[in-house]
Amino acid sequence: MSVPVMTVPGEPPAPVSSAAVRATGLTKVYGSGDTAVLALDGVDVDFARGGFTAIMGPSGSGKSTLMHCLAGLDTATSGQVFLGGTELTRLRDDELTRLRRERVGFVFQAFNLLPVLDARENVVLPMQLAGRRPDPAWFDAVIARLGLRERLRHRPAELSGGQQQRVAIARALLPRPDVVFADEPTGNLDSRAGAEVLDLLRSSVRETGQTVVMVTHDPTAASYADRVVLLADGRLAGEVERPTAASVLDALRGLGG
Amino acid sequence: MLSTTLAGLRAHLPRLVASCLAVVLAVAFVVATLVLNETTRTTVLTAAGAQYVGADAVVTSDDGSSLLDELAVLTALDGVRAVAPEWQTSVQAVAPGRTGAQYLVVGAVADDPALRWQRLADGALPDRPGEVAVSERVGADVGDVLRVTATAADGTETSTAVTVTGVVDLGGDPEAGLYGRAWATPAQAQAWGAVDPTELRIAGRPGTDPQVLADAVATALPGSGLTVRTGTAQAEHRAGSMLGNATALAAVLLVFGTVAVLVAGLVIANTFAVLLAQRTRELALLRCVGATARQVRRGVLVEAALTGLAASVVGVAAGIGLAGAVSALAGGVESPVPLSGLSVPLTAVLAGLAVGTLTTLLAAAAPARAATRVAPLAAMRPLDPAPLRSRPGVVRLVLGLLLLLPGAALLAVGVAVASVFVALPGGVASFLGVVLLAQRALPPVVRAAGGLVARLGGVPARLAAGNATRNPRRTAATATALLIGVTLTTAMVVGTASTRATATAGLAAQYPADVVVEGLSGELPPSLLGRLGDLGGVATGTALTVAQPTGPDGQPWTVYGIDPATAVPTLRSTAETPLPQPGQALLPRWLADSWSVADGDPVPLTLDGRALSLRAGIVDDDAPLLLTTGDLAALAPGAAVGQLWLRLDDSDADVQAAVVDTVTDTVGSVVPDAQVTGVVSLRQQMDEVLDVLLLVVTGLLGVAVVIALIGVGNTLALSVVERRQENGLLRAVGLTRGQLRGLLAWEAVVVSGVAAVLGVVLGGVYGVTGTASVLGMAGEVVVDVPWLQVAAIVVVATVAGLLASVLPARRAARIPPVAALAAG
Ligand SMILES: Nc1ncnc2c1ncn2[C@@H]1O[C@H](COP(=O)(O)OP(=O)(O)OP(=O)(O)O)[C@@H](O)[C@H]1O
Ligand SMILES: [Mg+2]
Repeated sequence: MSVPVMTVPGEPPAPVSSAAVRATGLTKVYGSGDTAVLALDGVDVDFARGGFTAIMGPSGSGKSTLMHCLAGLDTATSGQVFLGGTELTRLRDDELTRLRRERVGFVFQAFNLLPVLDARENVVLPMQLAGRRPDPAWFDAVIARLGLRERLRHRPAELSGGQQQRVAIARALLPRPDVVFADEPTGNLDSRAGAEVLDLLRSSVRETGQTVVMVTHDPTAASYADRVVLLADGRLAGEVERPTAASVLDALRGLGG
Repeated sequence: MLSTTLAGLRAHLPRLVASCLAVVLAVAFVVATLVLNETTRTTVLTAAGAQYVGADAVVTSDDGSSLLDELAVLTALDGVRAVAPEWQTSVQAVAPGRTGAQYLVVGAVADDPALRWQRLADGALPDRPGEVAVSERVGADVGDVLRVTATAADGTETSTAVTVTGVVDLGGDPEAGLYGRAWATPAQAQAWGAVDPTELRIAGRPGTDPQVLADAVATALPGSGLTVRTGTAQAEHRAGSMLGNATALAAVLLVFGTVAVLVAGLVIANTFAVLLAQRTRELALLRCVGATARQVRRGVLVEAALTGLAASVVGVAAGIGLAGAVSALAGGVESPVPLSGLSVPLTAVLAGLAVGTLTTLLAAAAPARAATRVAPLAAMRPLDPAPLRSRPGVVRLVLGLLLLLPGAALLAVGVAVASVFVALPGGVASFLGVVLLAQRALPPVVRAAGGLVARLGGVPARLAAGNATRNPRRTAATATALLIGVTLTTAMVVGTASTRATATAGLAAQYPADVVVEGLSGELPPSLLGRLGDLGGVATGTALTVAQPTGPDGQPWTVYGIDPATAVPTLRSTAETPLPQPGQALLPRWLADSWSVADGDPVPLTLDGRALSLRAGIVDDDAPLLLTTGDLAALAPGAAVGQLWLRLDDSDADVQAAVVDTVTDTVGSVVPDAQVTGVVSLRQQMDEVLDVLLLVVTGLLGVAVVIALIGVGNTLALSVVERRQENGLLRAVGLTRGQLRGLLAWEAVVVSGVAAVLGVVLGGVYGVTGTASVLGMAGEVVVDVPWLQVAAIVVVATVAGLLASVLPARRAARIPPVAALAAG
């Protein structure tokens, strides 16, 4: 049985895979000369659509750098990054910015929200910057799921750390991005608030098929994911499928970190 | 610690440039003012006192009585080489190429060369009757022949033709431009009716001490009623009476200098806040490794002092250069302030250095205190987000209200009683109050303006509106600096426009006719009005007839007849020149009183057997007896034309002045002794003075505005530093570089726009009240707000604020989103 394949002359064929994000030969060098640091060293990795992946590794192994390059926040020194069919490594700054606000969501460890805006304004900010209106039904659903209905008029300074992270997650989910990146989203929270945040991330994967990539140090947090990617010295150093806190801890010990 | 400071200075040099610029401008301003003031003083001293500088002693009569007797005594006095009596008279002279006569003040040339003070631009001084030297104002060259008409005390006129032998340069004498001057031999001056001298200039024998000579002279002339001074003292005495205006101007300029220094202080404080915020971690690290808070503070203050001193040195040089440029420019054109050369007093240099350095130190004190409060641990932490709220001191609020309310009341009283001496302290106090209260009042206004902008400008504008009030104290300081500059500029512009309008209206009322032609012998040919009306630039005119009927008291009175039909279109204002109706005689109150007639009473006039009874109309001011031409013709059928009133076309002052010259020449060719007076020259003089004043003052205030705008740029730079993470977050979640630049641009527009609009409103109030209090005494005050200029001030200040955001915005846009997420 032959399926006609359409190709555009001059363009490489769109990568046919179920990966939401894919990196090939990704290398990142900070600085130059004597002080040059090789933060990523030829990383090949892909993240399945609708999957929840955790990135782990010792401090300084390049987790944040990998995430920034995948999310179009930083430019790679060499190698390629694909978000769906788009090659990020080719885009100019404005195109990257537009891609970030329409197709990528972020949750950071701290300083996620703009202090001058209230919770609602923070949540809709990327869509507003893109000049789009959130779908009201979807907005209500996200806000209800994150339990923020009563908090929409509050400024970040009037919210607890856990509430602030939930607002950040709502902001990340609202535009229905191709992928949500989270860099140590529970790093500043106590274990209970942390568990809440992780539950929310996992349920958004389970219930709406959201792709989530999360950097974490915490084996318990990693156990919420479907898969753990291990990083050491800027190189891939193994994977754990269907992780548990114990199996992740074992794998980390194996790195000697 | 000093080496760390110097290293810090080197590292932050580019940032420091902004605050240095503010210091340089402010210091340059103050120094230029002081130098110009001193230059004016010496110019006047050498120019106005020129005739006394060469003399060893001068005797002046206090009551104007003759000093001829003293002359004889002094010539015989031991130690006296020569005495020059000051023969003085005035004549009418016609220069070649002109038909109209001009007024000349004639003095005598001393016989002794030491007492000949006149500096010749050309030719030589006269040495026989029939020769004169003239000042440049006369417009004659060496070899020209002047027709001189002198009137003796008994009224007889003599006419002589004299040759011009030299042209005298009066230098910067403030009176040089007012009227022409001529110098003749003592004999010629006496022939032209010079009265007995009231001033004697004395030259001593070589080696005589002037003070000793002056004392000897005083002893030799025991009588009272005369003053003996040394030549230098006399020169200073005369210059002093002329410097009044220049000193007042210098005082005004120093006020503006103070304003520039104040604004610079606000800006410097903000700049240091920027610098220190950028270095919080550096300073904290210094604390970590063991520097005490005092050491850190001292380091910062030494840095401020060095910056201030360096900038002040540049500022002093710039100020002297500026004064030199102004002086050179003023030498070329006629300026209301006499200037020539440049005198740099040491005090100006020292004052400049002190003002610049101290202002910088004071301004840096508050940020330095804040910087030393930094906990050593801050080195380890990301920058704290800016405080959301800060509370301006209650002291400031109370003090502000205590200044504003009584100040405003005093200002209102000053306007009501038309006294600038009441209004001025009120204005100063209320403005200081405004400046103090601005800290509290501006943030809410900025917030409101931000709300407005947020609705117009999309997401970046909305964020900018929030950002503009994040740090109310800093926003207030930035906006206050601009507010001060804009307020004062607007006050000047509105004040000048209103002064001009008021003075123009006043002139129109006082001198309703542009040009008045009057025959000295009392008669003008009836055809003259027609000839003048045909001249280009003359719009219309009216002829006044004159006769001498006998009044009710049996005395002959000069009565004018005016034709209201032609007078109304000729006069610029009839406010103080009421016109008679047919059958009415307008007479001044004093005359009505002496004739014992009341308003509406019959006034009988007779002439050559004809009698006429008119209704009395009493006018307040010193007007002539006025009838309609028709009524006067009934009394005196052949009444001659006594005066012509002309109205000129509205055009530039110099065009009108040229028309007046043509009128003068035309009249002079028909009636040589006729007198032509034009208020055009008055209006022109006033316009010139106001224009120069406005130009100088707005230029100087412009400096304050420029300094304030540097402050806007600095504040934004500080925001960029403080909100590095936040801006990075915005970039991460999708704000483009352009939108980020827009964000800062909006913030600048909101802050500078608010300051500009409020400043213009305040400035308008001060301009109008100021004018009202200064000119209210003189009558009706005409308020004139030059809307176009005022709008231009708002636009310029706002756009300049926008420009000030360009550099910080570029800096912000360069921040990569990731770098911003990393701490610090
Ligand atoms: N802006 C930078 N300039 C120079 N080197 C950098 C920069 N950012 C990161 N690095 C270096 O790159 C390497 C990887 O850093 P990265 O922040 O990705 O590590 P990480 O795995 O996220 O560590 P952690 O768990 O501590 O957050 C480190 O050696 C770090 O020193
Ligand atoms: Mg990291």
